[in-house]
Amino acid sequence: MLELRIAGRDFGQPVLGEIFVGIERGDRICLMGPSGIGKTTLLNAIAGLDKSIPESAVLGREVLRVGYLFQEHRLLPWKSLMSNLRLVGASKREAEELLMRVGLTGYGAYLPDQLSLGMARRAALARCLAVKPDLLLLDEPFASLDPIMVAELKALVSGILDAQPDMAMICVTHDDKDVVSLANRLWYLNGKPASLQWTDTVGDPQRLEELLGRLRQG
Amino acid sequence: MNVGTARPPVWSYWIVLPGLMMVWAMTAGYLGSPLLPGPMEVLDTLVRESSSGQLWMHLGATLSRVILAFSLAMLLGTAIGLVLGRSRTFNALFDPLLVLMLNLPALVTIILMYVWFGLVEAAALMAVVVNKIPNVAVTVREGARSLDYRLEQMASVYRFSLWQRLRDVWMPQLFPYLMVATRGGLALIWKIVLVVELLGRSNGVGFQLHMAFQVFDVSAILAYSLAFIAVVQLIELAILQPLENRSSRWRQPESVHA
Repeated sequence: MLELRIAGRDFGQPVLGEIFVGIERGDRICLMGPSGIGKTTLLNAIAGLDKSIPESAVLGREVLRVGYLFQEHRLLPWKSLMSNLRLVGASKREAEELLMRVGLTGYGAYLPDQLSLGMARRAALARCLAVKPDLLLLDEPFASLDPIMVAELKALVSGILDAQPDMAMICVTHDDKDVVSLANRLWYLNGKPASLQWTDTVGDPQRLEELLGRLRQG
Repeated sequence: MNVGTARPPVWSYWIVLPGLMMVWAMTAGYLGSPLLPGPMEVLDTLVRESSSGQLWMHLGATLSRVILAFSLAMLLGTAIGLVLGRSRTFNALFDPLLVLMLNLPALVTIILMYVWFGLVEAAALMAVVVNKIPNVAVTVREGARSLDYRLEQMASVYRFSLWQRLRDVWMPQLFPYLMVATRGGLALIWKIVLVVELLGRSNGVGFQLHMAFQVFDVSAILAYSLAFIAVVQLIELAILQPLENRSSRWRQPESVHA
């Protein structure tokens, strides 16, 4: 579905080394790695935000619809939730359905900054879905939320993944449990400049723990 | 309270301005000179000019020049400022020119325009616009540089059209800068328009001031000035302030669930 070859990326000092990523329909990937290693940089590259990557290094992105849940909500703060959803192409009815789906029925007229962090993140997730994505990128979707909100949001994401088996997902996380519950593949970013290691077998918590232990030691 | 930015309370206007009027009336009464007419004489002139239609004709001429020049300068200045703020190359090419233009006295532009293009309306307007564009461009450039890159990335991912970016992403962020440019612009433009009229037009407040100056009719000079100050204040109260209040409402939304 999408292939991307990154020759390397540096911001003053090298961040990413040579990396090749291939994403297929239905892939559920958890992207892990130490803090500051370049996970968001890699996600931005996949989303097409890195202008230093030549077009020739990318295959299949022109036709790809991407929904990106950034670490911050990045909704337009001067637009209501409804307008934010309409702006990316949702009809009024679709927008209302999406708000219902993420548990924000009746909040269409609210401005993003009137909402709590968890609600704003759900609204941003609704915007991801509004573009009917082929690829859903989640950058630490469960960070800095209280445990109840995390559980709600995880259930929501699981539901979305179950409902759209064709959609691919990449989720940046630090929590092993997310890998077990959400992913069928694991990407691990490590080293300086960072390189990517991946594996397809993440179903068994026991084996995953061993694997991550090895990866974390480098 | 912050002394530097806080608006003074409304009552201060109701004390200071009438006070000033009293001082003026007393000085004028004491001097008894035609070179300093009292408030009543100026009011007389104002009523006479307004009932003869002269005042409205000249005010209208000046105001339409101000509005036209202002709109053109804002439009072009904003476009230039956006390009300079977003492109290093263009900024490197045009920044020296901008510095030059910023320091060019308004009078020079006016004279050159009249000399090159003749004493015509287009030359008058062009002189005002050329004077104002650099100020707008510099202010908007600051705004364009401070655009939030996170929202830019968002707009890229969700494939916003150029028009959507301009209207929904950039304009709300540029709004405070545009307001600054508008405020400064209006004040600057109407002063330049008066000079332009004085030097080369046959109507407008500037032209009337010129005529009054030739016969030392101070009463007419003050009457026209006061009328114009009133118009500019009216624009401020009726258009600019409501606009500003409306467009900054999202900045402090009452938090409901935070």
